[in-house]
Amino acid sequence: MDLSLDDTQQLIQESARDFVRNACNRDALLKLDRNPAETMTMLWPKLAELGWSGMAIPEQYGGTGNSLTDVAVLFEELGTGPVPGPLFSSAVLGAHILLEAATDAQKQAWLPAVASGEKVLALALTEAQYGWSPEQVRMAARQDGSSLTVSGTKVMVHDALHATDLLVPVRVDGGSAHSLLRVDAKAKGVSIRALDGFLTAVCEVVFDNVRVSKDDIVGEPGTAWAPMQRALLRAVPVLCAYKVGGCRAVFDMSVEYSRERSQFGQAIGRFQRVQDHVIHIVNYLDSARWTTYEALYKLDSGLDAASSVHVAKSVASESYMRACDFAHEVHAGIGVVREYGLTLHTKMSRTLYHCLGGPKAHRRQLERALKLC
Amino acid sequence: MRESRNGSLILDSRVRGNDANRAPSAHAIPARTHAMNFAIEDSPQQSAFRAEVRAWLEKNSPPGIEHSADPCDMTLAQYQIRRSLGRGLGEMGWLYPTLPRQYGGGDLDAEKTVILYDEMARIGLSLPPYYDAGGRMGAPTILVWGTEEQKKRFLPPICRGQVRTWQLLTEPAAGSDLAGIKTTAIRDGDAYVVNGQKVFVGSSHGADQSWAIVVTDPKGERHKNLSWLMIPMDLPGISVAPMDLLATGGEGGSGSGVKNTVFFDNVRVPADHLVGGENNGWKVATTHLEMEHGGAGRLADRRVVYEFLDFCRKPLDGHAIADDPDARAELVEMFIEAEITRLFALRNHWLSHTGQPRSYEGSQYSLRRKLSGLDIAERMLRIAGPRVLTKDERWGPLKGTVEYFQRDAITSLHPGATTDIQRVIMARRIGVGRREREKAGTVR
Repeated sequence: MDLSLDDTQQLIQESARDFVRNACNRDALLKLDRNPAETMTMLWPKLAELGWSGMAIPEQYGGTGNSLTDVAVLFEELGTGPVPGPLFSSAVLGAHILLEAATDAQKQAWLPAVASGEKVLALALTEAQYGWSPEQVRMAARQDGSSLTVSGTKVMVHDALHATDLLVPVRVDGGSAHSLLRVDAKAKGVSIRALDGFLTAVCEVVFDNVRVSKDDIVGEPGTAWAPMQRALLRAVPVLCAYKVGGCRAVFDMSVEYSRERSQFGQAIGRFQRVQDHVIHIVNYLDSARWTTYEALYKLDSGLDAASSVHVAKSVASESYMRACDFAHEVHAGIGVVREYGLTLHTKMSRTLYHCLGGPKAHRRQLERALKLC
Repeated sequence: MRESRNGSLILDSRVRGNDANRAPSAHAIPARTHAMNFAIEDSPQQSAFRAEVRAWLEKNSPPGIEHSADPCDMTLAQYQIRRSLGRGLGEMGWLYPTLPRQYGGGDLDAEKTVILYDEMARIGLSLPPYYDAGGRMGAPTILVWGTEEQKKRFLPPICRGQVRTWQLLTEPAAGSDLAGIKTTAIRDGDAYVVNGQKVFVGSSHGADQSWAIVVTDPKGERHKNLSWLMIPMDLPGISVAPMDLLATGGEGGSGSGVKNTVFFDNVRVPADHLVGGENNGWKVATTHLEMEHGGAGRLADRRVVYEFLDFCRKPLDGHAIADDPDARAELVEMFIEAEITRLFALRNHWLSHTGQPRSYEGSQYSLRRKLSGLDIAERMLRIAGPRVLTKDERWGPLKGTVEYFQRDAITSLHPGATTDIQRVIMARRIGVGRREREKAGTVR
């Protein structure tokens, strides 16, 4: 056994660290937080230039075909920002859905543009009755000659704001099977609105009689759910790695603050109750880290990874949120001053808590993976 | 990789998961050395070693070895069976496989050691197969701090299973505050005269030697007044009394049995049994405690969890416990707890056996193991109801193993430092509130 990063992964880590330090320092992140729309002009071209939008895509489709662990190493570093933007939605989740669900012709047509960063994908799956299970995805598409007409609302859609192309699971003519559609984000009848509040780049997407040609049905009609699930299973630990990075950042901030902040004549980290908060953070960090890395290892090795993936997602979602909570305990007042930067993580930890299924949903899936039901 | 305009590294198509077809290049592209690997896989050479170990154990593990749910139930006859197995393992160099061969160890690498532990666990035993805490932690400590002569004298009998050794640290007034011990060892000619009392010591059926921390300078400054002695247990003035405890605490597989109080009444210990220098004991303790606090990791799964999951899957009177959605939810939480703990242990094992620097990880694992054990025990009680509290043959799950775990999870909170102490150690190692991060103890 060897749990260390290999040379390639170390290089990825270094270049990503360099990127976060320079291009995505706290001032830049605060600016993007105030104006999320600038994400695509400020950040996206750099990410594409670095080749990161192609990492999860095989070479034959214009990418560099890195392992999931390689990709996760990148996302862990981006999570330390936390660097916002649709890189995960497009280049990992979206790309994997196309890889699993699309025909080869569609892959040839779409994936190189995703790899280059020209196309930006977002998965519009969840609806008013929020959830990631098949019965909760009901939006209907109507057969309309050789094309389809789609009406309805998808809500809590991550990064739709930045997307050029939406991936939209629907049920054709009210059937039980799901078809996946590629919809141009600028198509007539599509309206996208970022939701305001304690979350980042999460949107409502309304489809009002949007016409979708049959060429834009991804893969075989009515068979989309299983490949989407396979894609989700592969994408989840990469998202978890991003949360690991977030935990790491709030851990580092908290340790640093424990040394600098003095009260009652000594560094606050001298107080055991403050120490306990930091220990909670490092325990959450390492729990998320090792469950995530084992899930990645199993996926990269072609082993049955389902139970590890569900464990990782349950643990990482909760860990990131709670690590932030305990970081706030360490920081007290200064922690909620937006300029300080901790709240970027606090908000991101909430934003991503349910993304691709919340801890409870993954625990339910774990019950099945463990053959308890 | 090439330099981009802004100085960052660009990934190009040569950096990818599979380098099979990658042509050599003038660019300094690192070779893909190995992917992260959580599996403990055997090479052909290791497979051969596994087969050798398995065959040896089949031939030499005595028939009739029993695994009582409660280690206190182990009889003297059962203990002797284990000791005899230990001596056999010792002859092979397998009892303390990582210690140097010249001192009776096996000089085995990490992988082969894992195989040994693995094969022992397969037959429900630990390595060593009996309680030998003084050997497990004393021997590696002597290796760091002992003189050459002491290493030659003390280590081979331990490694060969000829002597069994207890560790004597805690006293009635000193547990968490280990430096606050009161047992004295005052130099008198060619001996140290030991007086005092140690508690929560050892196991059933006695020991040959005891590895003990003592005060050698009662007037000396705290932390500069301590030493370590290897005390032969047959010296006049030593008496041992068993303690009546809820359980023995996290000694799974070793069949440890009861804990004892050990009294020293003017016991004369030869002066050359003092290891690491007089009044240098606190430094020696850093090594001992690093071992004790979990720095070396552990590969054994929490077997009772997996067995309990299985128990809950099986129908009883037509219904399985797992049929209830609430029980399933709890079982999943229990599984997650056990997974995280297992991964922390695996990480520590990897850090330890690849000789990497360690910091807070030993204590983190210890803290995690203790707290998750308690959490798991509570969940079992919620899931399966009061039957987890009985070892009744008909109603107690898993032949009383779960009942014992209910008691042991509480008892296990404290051996090898309380959870509070583990937190203190972690905070110091992380450097919370201080510029310097405290270093981990010296381990070979």
